[in-house]
Amino acid sequence: MMAAVALVLAAAIIITIASGMLAGHGSWPFRLGVLGGGLAIAGGLVILCVYRKSQNFKAVERCFEALCKVNPRDLHGDGTTGDVPPLPACGPWSGAVEQVRDTILELCRQVQDLEHASTAAQIRSRRVAAESDQIKWIFSELADPILAVDNYDELLLANHTAEDLFQIDANGAESRLLSELVQCQKLVDLLTSTSRRKTCGNRTDEIEITDEQGQSHWYRVTATKLLGSDETDNQEHDDQGDSSDAAAAGASGSGGAVAVLRDIGDQKALQKRNAEFVSAVSHEMKTPLAGIKAYVEMLVDGDAEDEETQEEFLDVINSQADRLQRLIDNMLNLARIEAGVVNVSKQPQSLNELLEEALHVVQPAAEAKQIELLGDLSPMYLGVLADRDMLLQAAINLLSNAIKYTAGGGRVALRSRMVDNQARFEVQDTGVGLSEEDAQRVFEKFYRVKKDKTMASGTGLGLPLAKHIVEDVHGGQLTVESALGEGSAFAAIIPSAGQLDA
Amino acid sequence: MLKRILLCDDEVHILRAAEFKLKRAGYDVQTAGDGQEAWEAIEVQKPDILITDCQMPRLDGIGLVRRLREHAETRDLPVLMLTAKGFELSHEDLTEELGIVAVIAKPFSPRELRQRVDAVLQTDEATSR
Repeated sequence: MMAAVALVLAAAIIITIASGMLAGHGSWPFRLGVLGGGLAIAGGLVILCVYRKSQNFKAVERCFEALCKVNPRDLHGDGTTGDVPPLPACGPWSGAVEQVRDTILELCRQVQDLEHASTAAQIRSRRVAAESDQIKWIFSELADPILAVDNYDELLLANHTAEDLFQIDANGAESRLLSELVQCQKLVDLLTSTSRRKTCGNRTDEIEITDEQGQSHWYRVTATKLLGSDETDNQEHDDQGDSSDAAAAGASGSGGAVAVLRDIGDQKALQKRNAEFVSAVSHEMKTPLAGIKAYVEMLVDGDAEDEETQEEFLDVINSQADRLQRLIDNMLNLARIEAGVVNVSKQPQSLNELLEEALHVVQPAAEAKQIELLGDLSPMYLGVLADRDMLLQAAINLLSNAIKYTAGGGRVALRSRMVDNQARFEVQDTGVGLSEEDAQRVFEKFYRVKKDKTMASGTGLGLPLAKHIVEDVHGGQLTVESALGEGSAFAAIIPSAGQLDA
Repeated sequence: MLKRILLCDDEVHILRAAEFKLKRAGYDVQTAGDGQEAWEAIEVQKPDILITDCQMPRLDGIGLVRRLREHAETRDLPVLMLTAKGFELSHEDLTEELGIVAVIAKPFSPRELRQRVDAVLQTDEATSR
């Protein structure tokens, strides 16, 4: 700028001097005229020069204004400008201005890149936080208790169920040492020994844990060694490589272990019930068998001298053989019905006839206990569509159950009626009755009321089978109403023959 | 004098078979339907031998024998166990602890039962002489 002004001034002086020299030959007015003209030209040049400069300044100003308005977000990914206007030419400053512009754009791009990176990082971090929360939440809500220890045998993690089970106060506990938090030594040993193992892989054990109420729970515990993150990498890498390397990576192990506890209480209870069932069945089978063998032997030995005694012995043998057969039928039918392979042949039957027969079958048992067996059958013909043998068995089971759990001198009544167009029969006793809980469970297979176990022998099969027969085979309904000490009433509804045909 | 036997079982036909066989062998046989009934009978008159089932209502065989061992008069009463739960009683410690002279598993042979009773009562007689 200064150089340009100096140049213009120099030009003006040269013009003035030149015009002065030219004027040396003329008169003063002429000289003055020439000088004036020269001055005017010089002045014009100066004004022109200043004008142009000011124009250039304005162009530069516009350039900067445009640059000021550059928004990093307007830049395209490839670095070209979006809304940035092309810079006007601004003479000798164009180069400098362009450099400034490029620098600004470059900075803008960098800012933009950083912004992108920062946004991505924020999203990632939020996602990771959310995932972590989710995993923590899922972990803490898992139904199976889970415990993890680090390689110093200190508790790393415990979910809610584990905390409840072992009464661990996650925050309040002073020591994190597993052996001080968890009383069950077997579990502590399993976890710490798994944590110290050189190789990975699971170890399982069945452990009994007693809770603070003193109740024992059985758990199948699976303990897994935790590998450090380096080791996991090694492990993954080694999966494709040499297996001896994998062992080496495991051997360098830092450790820690996690234990997942699965409640196997139901399984244990079932095992126990099955064992009890086998024991009960063998007892139930041996008892009539013992009768048969004893009387046969005495007959063979000629102990029964008179005909009357022989007949008595044969009667016992016969009734005990029947009893054995009933037991086997009960077991087989229950197994068949449960497996769904039973052959049912339903025919129209007289329910009363069938019930008469059931009464006849259980009469000796009632007499032996001096229980009054009362048959109060409907005078109406009660037609049912039924599998005769099965329904008979259900009725016998209900009656003999009532006789079993009624003390001598009591009464067992069998009634049949037509109710709402359905045949209904009911076995009512004056026996020991059932508690509310027992009444709900009495139809469960092998379930036997604890306090009444010594009262009579049994397998816990008779009532479940009766229920299967009435409900699953005949589409009826078998219910029980009972109160402790006040006897029980089992009521069966069998759809009548006509009803099913319709 | 006739040797007295107390038979205890909740199965009527088992009771009847053993009673029949032992009566024929010349013993004085009394029967009881459960442990409680047997205990009451023993209190009235102590038999020479008790033959009892294991699983019974009210008072079971083990409970009955335990009670017998708690009382001075019945501490040395010979007991034969007649049970369908043979394997559970094959534990020698329990039979030894309760002083049960023999466990006979059901199904049983009345002939064998009689022989056992004979043997027990004869050695009993021999030692008491």
